[in-house]
Amino acid sequence: MSEAIITSDRLSLDLDTCYDPITGVLDRRIFTDEAIYQEELKRIFGRGWNFICHDSQIPDAGNFFTNYIGEDAVIAVRDRTGKVNVHLNSCPHRGNTVCRAELGTTKSFFCSYHGWNFDLDGSLIAAPNEEAFYKGDLDKTAWGLESAAKVENYKGFIFATLDPAAPPLTDYLGWVGKLGIDMMLVDGPVRFLDGIHKNRLKCNWKFAVDNLYDWYHVKVSHGTAFKVGLVTEEAMAPNDQMVILGEYGHGIGGPGLTHERQAEYDQRLASGEGDPQWYDLSASHRTDPRVREMLGPVGFRSYGHPNIFPNLWITQTRQMCLRIPRGPFETEIWWFNYLPEDLPEANAQQTIFGHNHIFGPAGFLEQDDGENWSHSTRGARGTQSKKRPLNFSMGLGHDTVSKDSSGQSGIEAVVNEHGQRWTYQSWKEWMQADSWQELMENHSTPPEGNV
Amino acid sequence: MGGYQDLSIQERMTLSFEAEQFLYQEAALLDDRRFDDWLGLLTEDIHYWMPIRRTTQAKEVHLEFTKPGGMAFFDDDLGTLTLRVKRLSVGRAWAEDPPSRTRYLITNVQVSKVEGDEITVKCNFQLYRTRLNSEEDSWIGRREDVLRRIDGELKLARRHIFLEQTVILSQNLSSIF
Repeated sequence: MSEAIITSDRLSLDLDTCYDPITGVLDRRIFTDEAIYQEELKRIFGRGWNFICHDSQIPDAGNFFTNYIGEDAVIAVRDRTGKVNVHLNSCPHRGNTVCRAELGTTKSFFCSYHGWNFDLDGSLIAAPNEEAFYKGDLDKTAWGLESAAKVENYKGFIFATLDPAAPPLTDYLGWVGKLGIDMMLVDGPVRFLDGIHKNRLKCNWKFAVDNLYDWYHVKVSHGTAFKVGLVTEEAMAPNDQMVILGEYGHGIGGPGLTHERQAEYDQRLASGEGDPQWYDLSASHRTDPRVREMLGPVGFRSYGHPNIFPNLWITQTRQMCLRIPRGPFETEIWWFNYLPEDLPEANAQQTIFGHNHIFGPAGFLEQDDGENWSHSTRGARGTQSKKRPLNFSMGLGHDTVSKDSSGQSGIEAVVNEHGQRWTYQSWKEWMQADSWQELMENHSTPPEGNV
Repeated sequence: MGGYQDLSIQERMTLSFEAEQFLYQEAALLDDRRFDDWLGLLTEDIHYWMPIRRTTQAKEVHLEFTKPGGMAFFDDDLGTLTLRVKRLSVGRAWAEDPPSRTRYLITNVQVSKVEGDEITVKCNFQLYRTRLNSEEDSWIGRREDVLRRIDGELKLARRHIFLEQTVILSQNLSSIF
């Protein structure tokens, strides 16, 4: 391995030992260290493929949507050839933001500082008084908006990377990342809805990410949702779990159908007794032969939460969530909401009811999350408390990865922390690699056998 | 009752006074955490809605708020509002345990329309909340309420809430607006 840029001289902790996969113990300073945070922006967000938007959000030429890659503001815009470009939202002249709106339609991006005007493809069209003031010295071809190194589209989901050495998106996603996105397409193509719930938490982004694998907190953090009868405990927090781990830190954790439960569904469906009634929105799909075909023999039995590393959480409620870093102590939560294109109206309304009442800052479940994650972050700031590592040991050594003849594999277990451990193991490898080349050579392949 | 513009100044003053007193009393109930009593102020068919707001170009301000029936921070009826209140008393409503300290300031109250038994009232509000040691949130916005007179008493039949934030700068929206 080449000389790491991060050395223990600069950081308050040693990356090599900050996470111990043998014990599942994690140094909590990774949540608060400023230098770690700056390296995360470079090595993880600056290097990975980041979700930007869905095709349906910007269907026509000139439609734009602004987002972030780490702390870099970006604009996704469809140009007149139909291509989606992703540009840094920063004028190369003085750095000013060239697009101030969150969404909309435009013919060009006109900088409000000095009037440099950029075409939808990012090229510099004109600078005011160019002839008189620059006297022919301004090479406009060299001073366009900087664009993402690569922009690729997987089935309508647009991702961008700032690193030209990144592998193609589908290689990056691997079968697990693709499965996570395919799970959103079990009812056919989708359209994203107008309106993204955005709010800001005082937590480190990684706490918000590791929580998506966490089925241990559900009954405690979200107990009121069961107690008032909004959702049933059996539906929201089943003990039967399935974890699927993929390269580069992607994973799927949460509820899974055991073979027995699957047989029960199949039987119920075959007998014509009607739809499965338990957690219908997601589990019932798993009796559909087309869904089985699309998701594969292991994938179709999961109805948990995929995470596209680093920060894209996909739910089974027709939503997905970005956890955008805003410094080590703040995270912005963005909930994207979508519907299958052909969904009957009644089902669409039911889905939108769920979108507006489960997650989001006023959601019956999610309103109780924020303070926990923020205080976990706060708990890593005390001189003494930060010395005490965190426990991610649940289920460690007790479970087995089963590989199907198709090549898909999964861990069937009760509630566990396999997904969180995989996230931090992968995080460590991303942080230790100095380049994509090094990451490709040195990252762990997903575990096999006993885990 | 005719349109608001047809009323005499005395009739308008009476209506404004009634509407203001309703809103102040409602705010006092919420500050005092008397949420069950607050539910008693709502009509059976209440619609309580807070759209999502976005930064847009000046020429596209029509996109500023999401539309009714779509994505929203709140899109509640009496059933879901009752659940919001109920959850506070069943334990484990962590966003409100320990309870928030709130103070509602209601201002710029304007009766804008009178139609049959219904009065449309616009107001500005500030909801100031503190939690725990030093958590502090302040939401400022405007509301458009419809108050309906039922058996001589005013009830809240519709509330549209327009916050001045796009990204909500608080960890949750666990308060009633």
